[in-house]
Amino acid sequence: MTTRAEFLSRIRTEVGKTSGLFPAGTAQRPSDPRAVTETIKRELAERWPHALERFQLEFERVAGVFHRAASLVAVPQVVAGIARERAVRRLVAWHARELGGDLLDSLAARGLEPFAMPPGDLDSAAERAELRRRVADAELGLTGVDLAIAETGTLVLRSGAGRPRSTSLLPACHIAVFDRTALIESLGQAGVFLELWNRGAHEDGVGAVTSFITGPSRTADIELTLTRGVHGPKEVHAIFVDQVIRG
Amino acid sequence: MSDTDLSVPFRQRAGSALGDKHLQEALTIATTKFIGLRREAFGEFPEGERLRDMAREIKEATLQHLDRYVDQLIDSVERLGGHVHYATTPEEARRVVLDIAARTGARLAVKSKSMASEEIHLNEALEAAGVIPIETDLGEYIIQLAHERPSHIIAPAIHKTKGQVADLFAKELGRQVAADPEELTRIARVELRQKFLDADLGITGANFAVADSGTVVLVTNEGNGRMVTSLPRVHVAVMGVEKVVPSMTDLMVFLQILAKSATGQKLSVYTTLVRGPRRAGELEGPDEFHLVLLDNGRIRQIAGPLREALYCLRCGACLNVCPVYRQIGGHAYGYTYPGPIGILLTAMLEGPGSVKDLAHASSLCGACADACPVRIDIPRMLVELRREVDEARIASWTERLAYRLMETILASPTLYRWSKPLARLLQRPFARDGRIRSVPLAFGEWTRTRDLPAVARQTFQERWPELQNPTATPGSSTATGEPCDRSRLAPESGHPRPKPDSRHPLQ
Repeated sequence: MTTRAEFLSRIRTEVGKTSGLFPAGTAQRPSDPRAVTETIKRELAERWPHALERFQLEFERVAGVFHRAASLVAVPQVVAGIARERAVRRLVAWHARELGGDLLDSLAARGLEPFAMPPGDLDSAAERAELRRRVADAELGLTGVDLAIAETGTLVLRSGAGRPRSTSLLPACHIAVFDRTALIESLGQAGVFLELWNRGAHEDGVGAVTSFITGPSRTADIELTLTRGVHGPKEVHAIFVDQVIRG
Repeated sequence: MSDTDLSVPFRQRAGSALGDKHLQEALTIATTKFIGLRREAFGEFPEGERLRDMAREIKEATLQHLDRYVDQLIDSVERLGGHVHYATTPEEARRVVLDIAARTGARLAVKSKSMASEEIHLNEALEAAGVIPIETDLGEYIIQLAHERPSHIIAPAIHKTKGQVADLFAKELGRQVAADPEELTRIARVELRQKFLDADLGITGANFAVADSGTVVLVTNEGNGRMVTSLPRVHVAVMGVEKVVPSMTDLMVFLQILAKSATGQKLSVYTTLVRGPRRAGELEGPDEFHLVLLDNGRIRQIAGPLREALYCLRCGACLNVCPVYRQIGGHAYGYTYPGPIGILLTAMLEGPGSVKDLAHASSLCGACADACPVRIDIPRMLVELRREVDEARIASWTERLAYRLMETILASPTLYRWSKPLARLLQRPFARDGRIRSVPLAFGEWTRTRDLPAVARQTFQERWPELQNPTATPGSSTATGEPCDRSRLAPESGHPRPKPDSRHPLQ
């Protein structure tokens, strides 16, 4: 078996044989990504209505469904509306801490069967398997959003404690709730957040995966016919909440 | 139909593709659609050209210090609790994956689309070891059921009709299935959903791997990449060593042009950034994460003639615009990677001997280089490959003899002068209207698909003394400053020369 040392030394030898095709440098990384993200957020504190307009446009272009609610309290009503139209009830949601509020009672009162994810890992494989069955059976998945990128209509979700990956993946309908603090304008800006998130020691509760989600799952693999919902959700809804969720 | 039979010569493979009416139609529709989508996407993205230059530069800068970035990637992945493996050959890569499967007692493996795993023929090896591999990209699933290989890098099953797909599904499921893409997709969702939930092992490639954070990046539209990296208890990513990029900032440059080049989307539906196994507090995600770094001929090209091919993002844009690919499709090429870039990658992985015919399966029109998001100069390297093939004496003896003769004659003015009357004599039985439509013996290869211009009654060189004396040819002058005399370029067009421009001041 090839070892790390052998492998690297072979690369080093070849790299040493050439100075390359032309002088080249990599992209300029922000030296202090935190400062840059703060600047981005500060600027967007004023510009956000414009970014939201663009987000809605792009999100709808990729077949996302956009909703707006005055505050987090009004979200269950929107969710219940989506559920009613599709005649479904079973919903799994991120833990209240990750969503920014406990919506379970309110959802249940509107006829849904909501189930919240535990705040962290479970004790046994059996419990995990039981939970997975429940998520796989659910028709709706309710999550928060870490970033909403206006340029592409993309939702960025980080996995972690209380915010499992499957909530936005297994149910056929994904509903994401966000406010203006998550809005950014471009993929370039998203890169600064990724630099920030992936620098230094791991934060507690932060998971291994960051997902960029741009509309519902799609394929055109059979005769180039566009079909939605091949593996991931068939529908993605974004509910914009006017009143900042963690205000 | 099964895998392309490489014992059949390339010309014959291409010939049967050309005779396949359905394939011809499917290829035209698909490639034309992709070309249009790509053009639209870049049309409304003015920064696109600048980003393409940047992306090209990042690829080159990364290669110039690849040792450092790979070293950093390994450290980062290990710090996250992942394991890194090194594979010089496809056998070694397969061995690594099989060992992981055996040690973890895996019986069922789900795969998201990965050209690297195609390249190492992983599925056959898994099957032989008693692990069932399931391709989960819909296109890949279809061709797995058909026991074929992908015919396009990003649209593996474009050569199949919905009727053929329905037949395949019916055979697999043992019941009637409607030939409707929507319905077929729904069936695949149900079938494959259960596989995702049951699988022990998730196998992926990597579109990129970010060195400084140990992030493996997967780009999919269907969501299978997310399933495969979230549900099974072990995740193995197999990637070519050139896929490393230095930072997240670099990554974003590529993400801005990759999907636009491939499918014309601003961004593919899912871009999944995976950093090692699941973390404390996470409910889901694999307990083990393995990264297999694959050489398979790549490393020696860092300083080799195919270096630039290491920039490739596998977007498929060069396939769609290639006049050869558009006619013969992916299977006729015979190897994992089809199209113009595929010829270079095949030479890289299998050696130049494998492309002695393929190196010529290009008109060198340059459309591939124009479409490439990182502007890989594919035609230049194809010419380089042709030279290599010639030097390695793999080309047919007739071809080599013909070129050797030409070389000798063109290098000697005396021989050149005497070659013309001789050629005129020899061509007499074959030349019609200034063209030679076929030549005898083994040299007939040349004229099988094209005409050869006949040697003119009087060549330019023979006319030169007469041209030097303007009075000898009434109304003509060598001093007109005409930038290009057509008779020099096309000897068969010969006399009479076009009338000189009367507006020219020197007339």
